[in-house]
Amino acid sequence: MKNKYLKIASICAVLFLASCSDSSFLDVDSQKNVDADDSEEVYEPVTFVNGVYGMFTDWDYAFSYLGITEIISDNADKGSSSTDTGSDKDILDNLTYTSTDGSIAAMWEHWYKSIGRATTAINYTESYGLTDESYKNRLIGEAKFLRALNYFFLVRGWGAVPIQEQDLVTRASVSDVYAYIESDLLSAIQTLPLKSAYSSSDLGRATKGAAMGLLSKVYLYQENWAKAYAYADSVITSGEYGLESDYSVLWHESSENGTESLFEFQARGESVAHGVQQYSQTQGARGTTGWGWGFNVPSDDMLEVFNDEGDTIRRDATIIFRNSTLWDGRVVGATENPMYNLKAYSSADAGAEDTDKNIRYLRLGEIYLIRAEAANELGNTDQALSDLNTIRERVKLADVTTTDQDELREAIWHERRLELAFEHDRWFDLIRTGQAASVMQALGKPFVEGKHELFPIPNAQLIQTPDMEQNPNW
Amino acid sequence: MKKRSKQFIGTSLPLFRKRLILLVTLLAIGFMSAFAQKVTVKGKVTDETKEGLVGVSVTIKGTTNGTLTDIDGNYILPANVGDQLAFTYVGMKNQTVTVSSSTLNVTMKSDEHVLNEVVAIGYGVSKKQDLTGSIASVNANDIARQPALSPVQSIQGKVSGVNIVNSDEPGSSPTILIRGMGTALSGRNPLYIVDGFPVDDINNISASDIVSMDILKDASSASIYGLRAANGVIIITTKKGQAGSAKVSIDSYFGLKSMANRVKMANASQYIEYFNEKQVSTGGSWTLADASEQSYNTDWYSELLKTGMFNNNTVSVSGGTDKVNYFASYNYYKEDGILSDQDYQRSTIRNNNTYSLFNDRLTLKQNINLSFSGAHPKPLGAFNEAYRQSPLVPVKYANGRYGMPFVNTTTGVVTYEAADGETVGSLNSIGNPMFTVDNYNEYDKTLTLQGGFDAEFKINSFLKFNSRIGATKYYSRNRIFTDIENAWLNTDPTRTESDFETLQSDNEGTTTYADNSLRFDVEETFRWTWENFLSFNKSFGKHNLDAVLGTSREKFGVGYYNTMTGYEVPEKSQYWSLSHVSGDYDNIVDEYSYTPTALASYFLRAQYNYDNKYYFSGTIRRDGSSIFKESGDYWGVFPSFGFGWTISKENFMSSTKWVDYLKLKANWGKLGNQNVPLNVSEILTATGSSSYNYVFGTDQDLVYGAVYGTPAVGLSWEITREWGIGADFSLLDNRLSGSIDYYDKTNTNAILEVTPTLNSEYEENYYDHGAKISNTGVELNLAWKDQINRNLSYEIGFNYSHNKNTVKQVKSAYDGATGGSLSNGEVTKKLLEGQPLYAWWMFETDGVWQNEDEIASNPYYGSPKPGYLRYKDQNDDDVIDDRDKVFFGSYLPTYNYGVHLGLNYKKMDFSVDGYGVGGNKVYNALKGTRIDGGENIAYDTYKNRWTGENSTNTNPGADRDSYASNYYLESGAFFRINNITLGYSFDDLVVRGTSLRLYFTAQNPLIVTGYSGFSPEITTSTGAPNGTTGIELSAYPTTRNFLMGVNLKF
Repeated sequence: MKNKYLKIASICAVLFLASCSDSSFLDVDSQKNVDADDSEEVYEPVTFVNGVYGMFTDWDYAFSYLGITEIISDNADKGSSSTDTGSDKDILDNLTYTSTDGSIAAMWEHWYKSIGRATTAINYTESYGLTDESYKNRLIGEAKFLRALNYFFLVRGWGAVPIQEQDLVTRASVSDVYAYIESDLLSAIQTLPLKSAYSSSDLGRATKGAAMGLLSKVYLYQENWAKAYAYADSVITSGEYGLESDYSVLWHESSENGTESLFEFQARGESVAHGVQQYSQTQGARGTTGWGWGFNVPSDDMLEVFNDEGDTIRRDATIIFRNSTLWDGRVVGATENPMYNLKAYSSADAGAEDTDKNIRYLRLGEIYLIRAEAANELGNTDQALSDLNTIRERVKLADVTTTDQDELREAIWHERRLELAFEHDRWFDLIRTGQAASVMQALGKPFVEGKHELFPIPNAQLIQTPDMEQNPNW
Repeated sequence: MKKRSKQFIGTSLPLFRKRLILLVTLLAIGFMSAFAQKVTVKGKVTDETKEGLVGVSVTIKGTTNGTLTDIDGNYILPANVGDQLAFTYVGMKNQTVTVSSSTLNVTMKSDEHVLNEVVAIGYGVSKKQDLTGSIASVNANDIARQPALSPVQSIQGKVSGVNIVNSDEPGSSPTILIRGMGTALSGRNPLYIVDGFPVDDINNISASDIVSMDILKDASSASIYGLRAANGVIIITTKKGQAGSAKVSIDSYFGLKSMANRVKMANASQYIEYFNEKQVSTGGSWTLADASEQSYNTDWYSELLKTGMFNNNTVSVSGGTDKVNYFASYNYYKEDGILSDQDYQRSTIRNNNTYSLFNDRLTLKQNINLSFSGAHPKPLGAFNEAYRQSPLVPVKYANGRYGMPFVNTTTGVVTYEAADGETVGSLNSIGNPMFTVDNYNEYDKTLTLQGGFDAEFKINSFLKFNSRIGATKYYSRNRIFTDIENAWLNTDPTRTESDFETLQSDNEGTTTYADNSLRFDVEETFRWTWENFLSFNKSFGKHNLDAVLGTSREKFGVGYYNTMTGYEVPEKSQYWSLSHVSGDYDNIVDEYSYTPTALASYFLRAQYNYDNKYYFSGTIRRDGSSIFKESGDYWGVFPSFGFGWTISKENFMSSTKWVDYLKLKANWGKLGNQNVPLNVSEILTATGSSSYNYVFGTDQDLVYGAVYGTPAVGLSWEITREWGIGADFSLLDNRLSGSIDYYDKTNTNAILEVTPTLNSEYEENYYDHGAKISNTGVELNLAWKDQINRNLSYEIGFNYSHNKNTVKQVKSAYDGATGGSLSNGEVTKKLLEGQPLYAWWMFETDGVWQNEDEIASNPYYGSPKPGYLRYKDQNDDDVIDDRDKVFFGSYLPTYNYGVHLGLNYKKMDFSVDGYGVGGNKVYNALKGTRIDGGENIAYDTYKNRWTGENSTNTNPGADRDSYASNYYLESGAFFRINNITLGYSFDDLVVRGTSLRLYFTAQNPLIVTGYSGFSPEITTSTGAPNGTTGIELSAYPTTRNFLMGVNLKF
């Protein structure tokens, strides 16, 4: 009997032994793919932050973006050949677009993907274990600035939108989205360095000034005049920025990241060229003497407004005319369209896919106009007039003198159109100021009140998330 | 006769039960002394075939006196006249005969009742009547009755709850679904256990070596194989030798194959009429000339198809002593497919030996299987091309070049030739199917070496210990030779070899213009298993307890993959190696090692019953898989329970004479699937102008960035929970037997491929647990068996399974994955909560546009013209878009059924088997998908088409779109008589003891289906539910086979 139990015991021992080395048995070495730990490549958090900026160079900004910021508005027409719709630029121009519009869907997706990259970069940076706290916070601040910038596009375009980090289906209220943007920007203001504090190799990164400037614009959209005023004022008085003395060079290579610049989408034209992909090409003059596709052309209305104002400086800094000679000596021949967007023109690279053209996203000129508008609403007429006239004086226009609040408001709005023409702001300004219906209808465009103030949620999104609500009347 | 171990008998299998059990009986009864009485009864005990039965127990009732029959079945027993002699023999019905004279011959009748069968349950065996779960068994005879390369193909329609989709492509494996499709993306195949060892595939096993296949369908049965049991388990047991003289068995058959269900295509003149109507509608500038002016009227299927041939030969020899027994077999299978030069051949060699050592304390089983296969596959795209290519195109032109769809658009004659000023265009972009087949040269070779040892040590009468080690080595080498120049020349008959040479010299180093290419893909893999388990089996009065405790270690996917491509080898195949390349082009070589998967498991199973009346079984298995290394969360625990109550053993049932056996069962279990897709959390980077990179600094430096393409979502086991109830019964003197089962099976955390929504942070598709997939069903088996008289017996069998597949509780925004791509931008399937997995999803047709006014005044999709199909605006929003696509059920059948009729009259045997499915839909993409409108059509499409206003409001005209719609979705229900066999046996033909059976079998002689394509039974090599399963595009058609065979035993 004893012997028997011995046997049983020994078998149990074998069973037990066989089970001893589980973890090492299951920890199979990867052979097909190289484990991240064994990879030579180390990804510093800054590379993920760079990846967020990278979204500014995507093709979407060169075509879809034009469609839903300028072509759609009174500033611009589709341009190009009458037979070339540019996929949907004709229906954007004519306000006959629907929820299946490609440009609207592209930018919706693009801005959300940018937000996603920013969130990933924030999380990666937080958990990476950087020892330099201020560097770490700067990187997080940059990503938060970029995230806020993208949400700002979304909330202006679609109103209540889902906050990606919270829920992909439920649309957060407009005020919640703004609160989210504000919180990101306030946090960014805390951690971002001044423009002058960056090393020269980091020129182009988000700065404290950019965050404050953007925040003042965010408050402007919420009609929070006091805060809009305060942040615009902080930027102007920060000593970091100044107005270019010559408006006509504002969109030249020479003024890139210059004194007036708060934030730009960066580009380089030299090999390896990396610009906002095809931004200059899509808007370049079209025809045998041209260099581009000829989309997003100034409208007759735009020209008329410049002419009525006698604003030749800004007109000639904004519009390329057929059969003219450009500031750099380029001769523009008999192009297909009478006018093109000069602000998209790259002198060095013209119609190349990647040009040196930086897109000015936010500059001090606009900050003056924000302070002016906020001051006027707050009853600070003197400040409002002073800021407005600062902008006008640069382009040799007579001072506005009215002290009537309503007239002054109109004057500031009008100034915004001239000053910021083709800077991708007009459509949202029209909606913000409530002028859209009257302005567009006057031009014979079928603007429907209660509908066109917001873009439709893209059909493709609603197919993916059928429970998401569509905007009214779409 | 020598003493044999009881345990060993416990593991024996039905075919050999008789002989083994005889040994038991010997052991149990032992030697008994004889009394000197008045009569010495002598006699012979035989079975129904007059074969002497050795070891039958003969006892005088009421006494302990008795004896056993000898090797020839003879016995001698002293008895009194009037004594009752009881004859008992396991596997035979007991008989009691009163002694009246000194000679008493008895014929024992078989008691082959299904409930007495022994089935494999994993790490042991059990009597079918002791089960608490659902295990279906198929024995060697059932497999042999339906000859096929794969044993799985042979059991189609024989087992309820198992849906097998056959493929008749030579060398292919059928797809098998046990109790429904429970996963979207993870492994779908059941786990195969061959003689105790897990394997991926059983195509390397000769069907004639198999003694039984036991299919563990429910969770409580399968959970003993926890981590890979979610799709069910199929346990295969191969043959073993028996003590006795050598027995030789020869099985051969030879058969012919042809396409079972050919579609009638339009002929030349019908094609012309159809084509010209399309040309007129689309505003084409030319039309085809009348058929009388055309040179060809090719029937592509007649050209393409030939009669296939298949041939199978098996020789086996088995025998042994009481210490050693052996089984050895050789099998050769060869099949020529229905395409030219398409073939498959396989040789297998098996040797299974058993050794009893140390006074039978130690039993050592060894088995080895060697399998070589060689195949010349052909592209199935040829079936697609044969459907679509115009009958006006010749197989070959007079100049020997293959015909292409060139047409002289000036004369409207289909030819590449044109006089001055005439232009040549193209009818369509379809290739020449004959060229596709002829120019394709692939040769695949595999070698599989599989073997194992099982040592069983008897510790005492109730305890034994097993240690098993097994391994499989697999080697495959595929060779593809592509004659690039020939392909280039045959794209256009006017091309010349010197053109090609010019191109070649103009494009030096560009492989597009190399003479030919030669590619090898080599793969070598290895897997091993080591299992140890302790088995306990003891009865305490009426309490019977059986338990197994063990561990398992397994590693698979050890190996490498290697691919090599070279260019310009000499044309003769003897020189096809990379050492003979011209050297003008770089060879392409890639090689990598696989990351193996390791599995570690512990298991415990206890089976208890009280008086064979009340049953309880419980299993718990703890499994670890290296797949989950990323999360470090290797382990899963998979428990299950089963209960059984044999009501028929209760006293209150004893008066119910018509019920022989009735048992109720209930079970619950949890199963895992570790074969899940894994997320590769990719970091995307690029150099140059990419939106991952940016520009910073006063010098505008290009700065690299990085982006996470997909989230690092940790994935874990897919866990399936299942409960079921059922009843097994046997009625009317065991003539009617059967079972009924209900199950409810849910994959609780199915992994989905998530397409990030537009507004989500991710940029690329990724995997995540995101839904439940439910399968509920009912299975019914009925068998009626009766022996009318000595000469005539018959059996009728019927099985039916119903399964409802539903996707439930999909995570928000995870819905909507599409699948079933038609390769023309159209998808046909979508995953949505409440629907079957990847259910059909497309437009619903709403008649045919009759005129332009109708189109102008209604919502439409695309750019329709009169004659196009109209699609329903389901949501009445006056826009036809994806929201108007609706669900149309699934490609998965909701029910399938099998019928069997068997008849034995004297030496003749006859059987008919039928199999059918229903509730599924198949998409006829051959008919639906058109690229440029110049494709041929089926005759019915031609005949029923729209030809003008009000001609039909059902069928589209010659000019039509190719959007996916339910017009092309048809019922996939079919019923096939899949086997009719007539056999005749000759006994003692030359020598006593030989048996010879000749048979004739017709496979698929009759298919009843409403489907308009070739085969409603469509699978793909992967069988992925989101793939083209259920879509007929380039599927191998079902074949009709006639074969003759012989079974010889001596």
